[in-house]
Formats: sequence, C-alpha cells, structure tokens
Amino acid sequence: MVRDVAFGQYFPGKSLIHKLDPRAKILLLIGFLVIIFCTFNYFSLLLVTLFTALMILSSGVPAKFYFKSLKVIIFILVITSVLNLFYGTGTPIWQWGIIKLTVNGINRAVFVTIRIICLILASSCLTFTTSPTELTDAIERLMKPLNKIHFPVHEIAMMMSLALRFVPTLLEETDKIMSAQKARGADMESGNIIKRVKALMPVLIPLFVSAFRRAYEIATAMECRCYRGGSGRTKMKSIHMSKRDAFSFIALAAIICGVILCNIFIPAVI
Amino acid sequence: MNFISLENVVFSYTDDENVKSEKNAVDGVSLNIKKGEFVALLGHNGCGKSTIAKHLNAMLLPDSGRVLIDGDDTSDEDKTYDIRKKVGLVLQNPDNQLVASIVEEDVAFGPENLGIPPQEIRERVDYALKAVGMYDYREHAPYKLSGGQKQRVAIAGILAMLPECIVLDEPTAMLDPNGRDEVLSTLLKLNKEKNITVVLITHYMDEAVLADRVVVMDSGKILTQGTPDQVFSQVELLKKHRLDVPQSTELANKLCGCGVKIDKMPLDTEACVKMLEEVLK
Repeated sequence: MVRDVAFGQYFPGKSLIHKLDPRAKILLLIGFLVIIFCTFNYFSLLLVTLFTALMILSSGVPAKFYFKSLKVIIFILVITSVLNLFYGTGTPIWQWGIIKLTVNGINRAVFVTIRIICLILASSCLTFTTSPTELTDAIERLMKPLNKIHFPVHEIAMMMSLALRFVPTLLEETDKIMSAQKARGADMESGNIIKRVKALMPVLIPLFVSAFRRAYEIATAMECRCYRGGSGRTKMKSIHMSKRDAFSFIALAAIICGVILCNIFIPAVI
Repeated sequence: MNFISLENVVFSYTDDENVKSEKNAVDGVSLNIKKGEFVALLGHNGCGKSTIAKHLNAMLLPDSGRVLIDGDDTSDEDKTYDIRKKVGLVLQNPDNQLVASIVEEDVAFGPENLGIPPQEIRERVDYALKAVGMYDYREHAPYKLSGGQKQRVAIAGILAMLPECIVLDEPTAMLDPNGRDEVLSTLLKLNKEKNITVVLITHYMDEAVLADRVVVMDSGKILTQGTPDQVFSQVELLKKHRLDVPQSTELANKLCGCGVKIDKMPLDTEACVKMLEEVLK
C-alpha cells in the first residue's frame, strides 16, 4: 500500500539521460527549475513544457511512473491552482459575492499548475534515471569545497545513501507493523484526524525501536567490511564529464536564451 | 599451520553501566581451524557461538586468552583491518547488511573501503557475483530480491574483499527452505572450488552434517567436536544437552534401542535409506 510511491525510485536503463554525469544532471536540474519560474508568457511556458516532454521521452522510463509521481502532489496542485484562480487582479469577468474571476487569475492558475507539473516531472526524471549511489556521490563531489571549512561532506553523503537504501525496507516494515496492530484490533481508518494520529502511535513506536536496532546492526556490518570513514576510499564507478554533458549544458543554455528572448519580445501575461 | 587459533578465550559482555556480566559468554574456548576447512559451530541460542564469531574478525576482543588469525593477534589494533580483510563475517539478517541500493554497488562497498583501484573493483565485483550465482541480478535493487538471494549478495559483498575465510553467523535463520539450500550450496561451492575456509554457525543439525568438522558448544564451552559421523553418533550426550540430531540419525538410534544392529549412523536421508536396506535384507 505505502509501497506504491514512485517518487525517488530508480529505473536502470541505457538512455542518454541515464548516461549523463550525475553532477551535470543536478546542475542542469537546478538551472531548469529556475528557468521554469522565469516564464511569464505562453510562448516561454510552451518552450519549457516541450523541453520537459523531451526529457521524459528521452529518459526511456515508462510514462506511467511519471503519472504516478504526479498523483502524489495532485492535492497540492488543485489547492494552489484554485487559490490562484480567485486571487487575480484586474477587472472581474465573473463575480459571485466576494468570489471573482479575472483573466489574470485564470492565467495565473494555468501558469502555476504547469510550472509545478514541470517541476515535479523534471525532478522525477533526475531520480528515475540516477541511482541513489550516483546521486549521493555527485552531491559529495559538488560539496567537496565545503570540506575546507570542516564540513563533514562524506558522512552526510553516506547518511543520505543509507537513508535512501532503507526507505523501501522501512516502508515494508511499516506495512507489517500496521497489519500486526490491525490484527490486534487497532482501528486506524476511522475517526477524526486527532484520533487517527493517535492511532498511529502504536505503529511509530515499534518502527522507531526496530529502526535503531537496524542501525546498530548496519553499523556492525559496515565495520565488518572495513568501513572507516571517507579517507582512503575509492569508487567503483568514477564519474567524469564527457561531450554528452557539454551538449546537455548547451541545450539548457538554448532554453534559457529562448525563454529570455520570449520574455523580451512578447508581453508578459501575469 | 592453523589459520585460526583460539587459545583459552574467555569473554563476558558488559551491561549498560559498564559492569561485566558474571556469566561468561565464552568460557575458556580453545579451537584450531586449518586453511580450507569447513567447520560448523553448533549450539543453542546463548551458548556463545555468535560471540565466538565476532572474535574471529576482531569485532570483539577476548577478556583473557588470545585469538590468532594467520598468526596475527586480534588485539593488535594495527592489524584490525588486515584481519577483517582476511576473515569476512556474514550476519543473520540479510536486510541489515546491504548498504547500497543496487546489488553491484553493494558488493563494491568492501573493496571501496579498502581503497582498491576502480578497474580492479569492477573485476572483483563481477567475480564475486558470479561465484554466488547472482551476476544476472547485478543491477537490481536489493529489496526486490528474495531472502536467499539477499544473503548470497551479502556473501558476495564479503567475497569481493578476497577473504581467506568466511564466518557466517546463522545465515539461514531467517530464510525459507529454498533460500537455505541456495546459501548452503553456495558455501559448499566456495569451500571446494576456491578453497575458502568456512566457519558456519548454525543451530540446524542438517546444515552441520555438510561440514568437515562439527564443533558443539554449550554454555560457553566446547562440548564435543569431530567429524559429523563422530559427533552425531553421540546421541545420548547431545540429547542430554537438549540438542537434536539429524532425523535419520534419530531414527537409527531408536532402532538401535530396539535391538537392531547398525554399524554406521546415517546422517542424511540417502544414507538412511541405504542403512534400512541393509537392515531389512
């Protein structure tokens, strides 16, 4: 049940996006997210939407997983777009009491919805095509300069990769504990929100206890395999930038130029 | 020369207030294991067999006595990582030993810690995964594997460090019969083909039968040891310490009690069938 969450999963593959350097992917994503929020008219919005679609198609991950990752945020999506719909400025085209609808409001709603969808899809594209180890490895490498100010970069990267590794395991365990508590007559699906939160306590306590026990065992297992911190470690998959990455940066630069040009020559609608 | 040698090892755990427990978990154990041997360490829960396992790769150090691995004393801190490289320890719960989200990256964890060059890590990972028969699963996520497969990946993770000895602390306790067979046949193969010393800690008699030598422990001491034939023929002694014998041996023993003459105690079903054929002739 809880295991259906697609966000943060990794699908091994051999597509162009899979082969990009994970560091490049992170930087590209950050750049792209910024540019998504710099779209002020429909042409630039269309441009980023097309680019997102291109990304998804070339990732080789089945589209249904992207839809799954959207399903998680559908609630947030509806709330923000409805709020934006009725908070527009300008002359109302329809009014009922204090609720008014303006052209500006409709535009805002469309923009915010498409921007959030693009944001989630682009981020999913990163996590779907990059293994957690690659991802944490890239973060470790990108944050390396922070080592100079004694920031524990390796430790943080290791914690992240361990946390990601144990997400499915702990979700499975949560499922098991919930079933066990239900078998003893625990009621978790009825009552108001306070009651439901209270009903979660008998699930959370055993989960935490077992998580600590697990952590202790993992530490033992890691010690058995000669783990002694980041110094002196090597990596099986060393990451390095290639022509592909340069090409992808050029593509992003093209999109940025496109969006800026659209913003200059076409009047903003929001 | 002995590869592993325990000399009169005594150990007791400390509790939360740093007070030594009065009961010794291991109470004067001396044991020698040769290179290439397959030794099964047998006993009840709490008999000290897991404690012995942790002594073999310097996770625990004896209160008195010494543990020598290939001539190196485990209490020598400079040698700790050399010893852990030589003696790999596989734990009971496969879920809690796999640290990476992809099988091959997990197997690479050990060699990465040792600072091996990337190209060689790749070779070692492929070698280890092939040795345990999990090469086809190298790009899978560990949580999607079955228990037996996970445990084999854990063994590969140790194998990639090219150890001379693998110690397994009840590796099959959480597995179904299929998973148990997978793990055991992998171990037998590694022992026979790659000449890796195996110390298998278990409380399943049927697993102990596969070993070259069986060591039976009870309340921190070695009760008896010898080849499976020798050990399991002492049915009375084992029963007295609430230990089981393999079902076939049990049957033969009961027949003996009824006055049937049996020369050699059978240890597995096949031998048992032969024995019955002889008797019925």
